[in-house]
Amino acid sequence: MRGRRLLLFILVSAASLGSQGAGAASAEASLTEIFEAANIAASRGDYRSAVANYEVLVEAGVRDPDVYFNLATAYAQSGDYPRAILSYERSLTVRPGDDKAEENLRAAERALEEKRAEAEGEAMIQRSSSAGEAIYGRFPEDGLAYVLVAANVTLFGCLAWMWIARRRAPWIYTLLAASSIVFVFSAIGLGQKAGIFRDGPRAVALGDHVSLREGPYPQAQIRGQARGGDRGVAVDRDRDFVKLRLVDGLEGWAPASAVGLIDLDESVH
Amino acid sequence: MTRFLMLALIWFGALFWAATASAQPEVTVTLDATPTEARVGEMIQLEVRVRVRGGRVQSLELGDLRKYPELQIISHQTVRPMQFSFGFGSGVQVESSLAEIYVLQPTAAGTFDFAPAVARVDGKTYQSEPLTLVVRPSMGISPGVDDDVDLPSVAEEGELSGARFDQHAFLRTVVEPKEAYVGEQVDVTVYLYTRLRLAPQSVTPGKPSLDGFWVHDDPVTSLHGQTAQVRGAQYRAYVLQRSAAFPQRTGELTIGPPTVTFDVGSTSLFDPPERIEREGVPVTVEVKPLPQPAPANAVVGRYDIRAWLDRQDVSTGNAVTLRVDASGVGNVQDLRIDLPPMAGVRALQPVIRDEQRFQNGKLGGTRSWEWILIAETPGAHTVPPLRLVFFDPKTKEYGSASTEPLTFTAVGPAKPAPPAIAPADTEPRQPSAVFGPIRMYSALSRGQAPVHQRPWFAWVLAFPPLLFVLVILGSSTARHRERRSTTTGAVQRKLLRSAENALRSDDPRAFYDRIVGSINHALDSHLGQPVAGLPHAELRARLAGAGFDDDLLERVINELEGADFARFAASGVNRDEMERCLERTETIVERIRRSSRSAS
Repeated sequence: MRGRRLLLFILVSAASLGSQGAGAASAEASLTEIFEAANIAASRGDYRSAVANYEVLVEAGVRDPDVYFNLATAYAQSGDYPRAILSYERSLTVRPGDDKAEENLRAAERALEEKRAEAEGEAMIQRSSSAGEAIYGRFPEDGLAYVLVAANVTLFGCLAWMWIARRRAPWIYTLLAASSIVFVFSAIGLGQKAGIFRDGPRAVALGDHVSLREGPYPQAQIRGQARGGDRGVAVDRDRDFVKLRLVDGLEGWAPASAVGLIDLDESVH
Repeated sequence: MTRFLMLALIWFGALFWAATASAQPEVTVTLDATPTEARVGEMIQLEVRVRVRGGRVQSLELGDLRKYPELQIISHQTVRPMQFSFGFGSGVQVESSLAEIYVLQPTAAGTFDFAPAVARVDGKTYQSEPLTLVVRPSMGISPGVDDDVDLPSVAEEGELSGARFDQHAFLRTVVEPKEAYVGEQVDVTVYLYTRLRLAPQSVTPGKPSLDGFWVHDDPVTSLHGQTAQVRGAQYRAYVLQRSAAFPQRTGELTIGPPTVTFDVGSTSLFDPPERIEREGVPVTVEVKPLPQPAPANAVVGRYDIRAWLDRQDVSTGNAVTLRVDASGVGNVQDLRIDLPPMAGVRALQPVIRDEQRFQNGKLGGTRSWEWILIAETPGAHTVPPLRLVFFDPKTKEYGSASTEPLTFTAVGPAKPAPPAIAPADTEPRQPSAVFGPIRMYSALSRGQAPVHQRPWFAWVLAFPPLLFVLVILGSSTARHRERRSTTTGAVQRKLLRSAENALRSDDPRAFYDRIVGSINHALDSHLGQPVAGLPHAELRARLAGAGFDDDLLERVINELEGADFARFAASGVNRDEMERCLERTETIVERIRRSSRSAS
């Protein structure tokens, strides 16, 4: 009797696992088809269709740098430079040091500046660039985490060795100093990547003129304006409004649809 | 834990900030002209630009411009693109650029030397390189290769081709050739002839309609005027539009009349400029069919074609990429290549890229096809030769180009094929080389929490310091034990254990030695001085002086005397007596220790 129950349990479990695996495989195939369809549309110059398909992938939870790159390129080709900047930034966040993405990001910024300078005589895009970003820009977040763990093990291993051993060789001091430096470097880098030095996820203004208001409602008084492509930090959220703090310090509530978060999975405080 | 460690190290950021705050601004000053050599009457764009990172531009001067009245300033524009950068560690960084752009028209020949442009940034002076403009005398030629032929002199009363003559200003459309094959390039150039003093920035041309043509514009970025003689009068002639037009059907095709509006400069400050409008005349082109017999899918132009695969070996079910490039002169967007079906290979819709450019006035470029070929069955698969047939209008002959057959091998068992992708029904692709290229492959990776946000990370990070603390604690305990093992009590215990061992091994002499040693050691510790070797009377006096009670004193002296005796008459001692002696000694030692504690 017990043997039959066990057999039934194994069969049911196997069937359940099999159906889950098949579902996952078909989902992957479907995503691949959407990606290929988007690529074909982009290659034919049908950027609207390409953007729609790439956006479906992003909404489906795909956080792939190549998808962001293609989405950004499709936006750039269709002249929507702020959204192109947003997607290139996302691509670089997932895969730092991607030269082509950096090159395209600068090209999109230049194109937006020139377009605006031609129309208005001068153009200004607020862009955040700190020493931290300059130093750690090309280091992947997970790589820094693993380096931190390795440096941590080495550092405390050296300290323990020095505590236990009666005779201290010169190399142990060298190793201790090196591991301390690497530990500090990777800890600061990880903090930079994790956003502990800023008040919220990084954001980009998407509309040509985005009104920043006193409160999170459409009738609130306007404090100032953000221009498309301006960088900032989303410091708060209230229903359909996001409190955006631009890099020049101007802060106000903007419709969530007019602000794109670079750090897509980072919650607004 | 992780965040705590990171915050503890925040002061490192302050070091970066201090380092960057004191950085010098990066300044670049440039002085350029396009072209640097021109003829009298031609337009020259002079640009002086300063780019600053981490500073503010106070002024930008080009003093020599006023020195040369021969260089008439037609327009002047100031452009200030600017970027602000704020953020942790770097303070405020301003990346700005100030450009003064002049459009100049020389009125006399000569060499014009410009001293370096000077920019002041944050109180410091920066200079560009100097610049020299060379202006040669006007040759008085008419624009266009056929102007000598088509422009009648003032003495002639013939009709001016492609233009409706006006003594002040008129438009002229020049078409070359006027008789072409279908698909052959026809150059269409629209000129504005004027004797009026126009403001170049006000010129707004209207394109002629080019129904029946596929058109690629060669953009005219600035107006370059040349002197032309028409019916005895001197005109300034400007190119307004230049296009390569490819007729798409046979017969007589009409190019519509171009239009233009422009302002004529006023003579005083108070007179508004006068707006002038002009319309040209339609021009016809005779389009012939390709010479018969025409091969199927023949295009007009001259092309080379080549193909290659990105790999030769692939697992069955996986893909190789077939790339085909056709380069040459002609409208590459007319090119069509159909990939013939291949057994056991599924081809996805190709990605097509075009790169077009003008070379010596002729449009050419490269069209690239990229097919993804999925090997559905194992074995060798061959891509057959791909052929392109073209008609060269220069030689009036047909030619062809073809690729070599390409082979790749699929290994492994056959896999079921996923459903094919339906081709997208879209509008034609707009070529652009600024962004991209689109990436054809992606891992389509999903969002995963970064390593440092996973639950195990904090434990892994905390493990080494915790282990270090445990090592310290363990090591300290071991050292304490070691130290403790050398203290009085331990020696005492060792001596008594040693006596016990001697008892077990039935060695009375050694036993009583340990007994005496044990009692003496206890007394040494109590009195703080050695007692071994003292006569018993002296010892009694010292112990009495140290506050020993009479009973303990008597017991100590008796036990020492008994032990001394037994050491020298060991053969007469039995085991029971030794056991009782050990018990008594333990009691005495314990009483001495307790009296020591109470005394302290």
